[in-house]
Amino acid sequence: MNNINGLIALLLFPSGLFIMAGGLAYQWIDRKLVAQLQNRIGPRWFQPFADVVKLLVKEEVIPEGANPWLFQAMPILALASALTAVLYVPMFGLRAAYSFPGDLIVTVYLMSVLTISIALAGTNTLTRFSLVGATRALTQLFCYEAPFLLALLGPAIAAGSWQIGEIAAYAGKNWWMIITQPVGFFIAMVGLMGKLELPPFDAPEAETEIVAGALTEYSGRGYALFRLAQGVELIVGLTLISLFYLGGISNPLFFIVKTLCLLFILAALQALLTRLRIDQTVGLWWRFIAVLGLLQFLAIAIFATWRWIG
Amino acid sequence: MHTSEHREQFIVPIGPQHPALKEPGHFEFTVDGETVTAASARLGYAHRGIEKACEQRTWVQNLYLFERVCGICSHIHATCYAAAVEKLAGVEAPPRAQAIREVVAELERIHSHLLWLGVAAHEAGFDTLFMYTWRDRETVMDLLEVITGNRVNYSANILGGVKNDITPEQSAEVLKGLDFLEKRIQHYLHVVQNDEFFLQRTRGIGVTTKEMAERLGIVGPTARASGVARDVRVDSPYIAYPQFPVNMMVEESGDLEARTVIRIKELTESCRVIRQILENMPEGEIETKMPRRIKEGEVLMRVEAPRGELWYFVKSNGGEKPERVHVRTPTIPNMASVVALAVGHQLADIPMILAGIDPCFSCQDRAVIVNYAKGGHDHWTWEDLRRYGIEYYRKQRRV
Amino acid sequence: MRIATMIGDISRSLFRKPVTRQYPFEKSATPKALRGRVEWDAAKCTGCNLCVRDCPAMALDLHILDRKNKQFVMRYHLDRCVFCAQCEESCRFDAIHLSDKKWELAALTQDPFDIFYGEENNVRTVVEKVLKGNAGQDAGKDSGAKAQAK
Repeated sequence: MNNINGLIALLLFPSGLFIMAGGLAYQWIDRKLVAQLQNRIGPRWFQPFADVVKLLVKEEVIPEGANPWLFQAMPILALASALTAVLYVPMFGLRAAYSFPGDLIVTVYLMSVLTISIALAGTNTLTRFSLVGATRALTQLFCYEAPFLLALLGPAIAAGSWQIGEIAAYAGKNWWMIITQPVGFFIAMVGLMGKLELPPFDAPEAETEIVAGALTEYSGRGYALFRLAQGVELIVGLTLISLFYLGGISNPLFFIVKTLCLLFILAALQALLTRLRIDQTVGLWWRFIAVLGLLQFLAIAIFATWRWIG
Repeated sequence: MHTSEHREQFIVPIGPQHPALKEPGHFEFTVDGETVTAASARLGYAHRGIEKACEQRTWVQNLYLFERVCGICSHIHATCYAAAVEKLAGVEAPPRAQAIREVVAELERIHSHLLWLGVAAHEAGFDTLFMYTWRDRETVMDLLEVITGNRVNYSANILGGVKNDITPEQSAEVLKGLDFLEKRIQHYLHVVQNDEFFLQRTRGIGVTTKEMAERLGIVGPTARASGVARDVRVDSPYIAYPQFPVNMMVEESGDLEARTVIRIKELTESCRVIRQILENMPEGEIETKMPRRIKEGEVLMRVEAPRGELWYFVKSNGGEKPERVHVRTPTIPNMASVVALAVGHQLADIPMILAGIDPCFSCQDRAVIVNYAKGGHDHWTWEDLRRYGIEYYRKQRRV
Repeated sequence: MRIATMIGDISRSLFRKPVTRQYPFEKSATPKALRGRVEWDAAKCTGCNLCVRDCPAMALDLHILDRKNKQFVMRYHLDRCVFCAQCEESCRFDAIHLSDKKWELAALTQDPFDIFYGEENNVRTVVEKVLKGNAGQDAGKDSGAKAQAK
C-alpha cells in the first residue's frame, strides 16, 4: 500500500505528470504576462505544451565530439532532480509527500542540480557558444547560490527548524515574513530569477551573443526535458518563496493566487530590466545583494540569539 | 620543459547565420575568457550584382532597381539616383516635388532610426524597449503608406519629380501622426538617457574618439556621435534642404550612449522639419518632363541616408541605359570601426557595437572579384556573370 | 539615474488591449494612395507600349492584334509585378491605374497570377499563341489562363 502511495507521489501528484503540466502552464502565464506588459498578444495557451510535444517527437542529434552518454544523461538528471525536489515541498496548499528534518537543504541542493547539469551539458560539446554559455552559467551559479540560500535561511532561523513543513507552519502562525524580512524576500525573488536565467540574468543564454548558450546543441528530447525541468523549478521556487514569505501553506486557492502574484512580479522585472553582462551580474550579486543578505542574516541571528538567551 | 609559443586560440564565430545579425556577414572574435583580443570580418555574402544589372536596364527601370539596394532606406537611394540623373540631364525637378521628396526622406529617417533603436535595445537584452519602439514605428510606416501608397519601397520618386502630391487631408494625417511620434520620441530619449540598467550596457562602451572617427572615415550618425560635424544635408544641401534646412546634431562622447542619443535627437529634428515643410509647402507642379536618352557625361551625387553619407556615381554614354553606376553605401566605411573597436571589449558588448553603426549588409556587399589567373576577361556582361554564378554553385553542390 | 524608466508604459499596457492587428479577422482601411493590382482599360489604350518598356519587372506584355480597331490584349504577370506604379506614370492616356482595393492577392495556385485583360475572343487567340510559344513547358496552364480571361 505504501509503495502504491509512493508511486503515485512520484509519477502523478505532486511530482511527475501534474507538476510538469503545471510548470508548462506557469511558463505560459509568464510569457503571456510579459507579452501583455509589452503591449502584444503573446503565445496561445497550448504553446509550451505543443513545443514540448514537438521536441519530444524530434530526433535527438548528438553532435560530434560530445560524450553521448553524458549528453543524454544530463537532461534526465536535471528533470529527475527537479521532480525529486517537488516531493519535499508542500505543493498547492497540501502537505509535502515526504518530509524529514533538514529537507530544506536537500531541496535547495536539488534545485542547483538543474544549473549544474545545464553547465555540464554545455561543456560536454565542442560548440563555442555552449562553452561560453556553460562558463557563464557556472559563474552565475556561484553568485546567486549563497544569497539565495541566505534568503531561505532567514525564515528557517526565525522558525528554528530546517524542515520546510515546520517553517511553513511557523510562517502561517506569525506575521507574514515579507513584512518582517523584506530584504530576504527581495533577495529570494532576484535569486529565483538568477536560477531560472530570466532577464536581466539571462547572460548564460543571451541569444544575441551566444545563440542558446549551453543548450545550443540540444535539439530534441534533451531540450524538451530541460524545458520541463525549468518549468518545474519555476513552480518549486515560487512555492518556496510563497511558503516562507507569504504566510505558510494555506489552501490550494490561496496558493495559486499567491504564486501568480509572485509570477507577476517576476514578469514585470523581466520586462523592465536590461540584460546584464556577466561581469556586471557578478558585481551586482557580490557587491550589493550578498552584502544585503549577510546584513539581514546577521540581524536575524542576533535577534534569534537574544530571544534564545532572554 | 617545453612551453609552446602559441597559445590555443578560442574563436567565437558570429555569422553568417547568427541571431545577432539580421543579414549575413561573418565575424570572428578571438576571446580570452570574456574579453575580445582579436577580431576579423568577412563580408560579401549578400552580393547581388545590382551595379552590373543596372547596365542592362533603362534609366527609368533602374530607379526601381536602386530602390531595392536597401529595404530600410529605399527612398534615399531612389532620390540620390533620380537627383543624379536629373543633374546629368540638366533637368530640375519642381520645388514642390523636391519638398515632397524631403518629407518622405525625413519620414524614412524616423522609420529607420526607430527600427535601429529597437534592434539596439534587443541586442542589449531590453526587449520591452524593442517592442515599444517597433510598435510606434508602425505609426510612421502607416504615414508613409498614406503619402506614397506603400509601407516599404515607397516608390515616391520618378525621374523628374514625384508620383503623388500631398493633399491637405494627407498632410493633416501626417501632422496628427507626428504629434504622437514626438511625444514618444521624447519619452525614448528620457529612457535611454536615464535607465540605469540600459546605461550600464551603453555608457562608456565602444568609445570612438574624434581622431579615430576621422582616421577610419566613419560617416553619418556614428561619426556625429564622436564629435565629427559632418552631415551632407547641412554641408551640401540637396533636393529641398536649401529651403528647409535641418540643424546638425553632434554629440561628443562617442560611446554607444551618444550614438543612441544622437539618433533620437535627429528624430526630433526630422519631426520639426517635416512640420515646417507641410506648413509651407511650395505650390506648383510635381513633375517635369525627362528625356528618355540622357546626354553623355558623368556625375557624382551625395545624400545623407539615415545611416550616413551615401553617394552615387552615374556615367552616361548618351544612350537609354547608363554606362556605369557606382554606389557607396554608408555601412562600408563604418564597418571598419566594428573591427577596430571590438578588441578589448567584452564578448557581450560585441552585438551592441556591431548594431551601433546600424549596419546594412546587403547594401554594402557589391564588390565583384574577377580572377584573372583563371583566364577571366576584363569585361563581364550580365549574362557572363549569371552563367558564372550558376556554374559556381553547381560545382559547389557536387563537392 | 533611475531604474525601470519604462514602468509607465508597462503599467498602461497592463489594462489595454494588445496593439497587434489580427489581420485576416480585423482589417484596417487602406489609404487612397495604396498601390494594388494593375487595372487596364482597353478603350483608352493606344498600343504605344510605353508601359511595357518602362516596367522594371517585365510584368506587362501588350499583344497588339489590330491597332486601328483597338484590338489589344494585355497580359499581366502579377507574380512579377513590384507595384511601383511606373506604368501608371508612363501612360499618357490614363489607361492604366493601380487599384487601391484589390491588394489581397495571395493564392494557392499559380494560375491567378497570370492575368489577361481584353475581349474574350482576343484573349483566346493570344492564349493559344502564347501556349504555342512555349509548348511542352507549361501545357497544363491553358485551362487556368482561360478561366482568368476577362
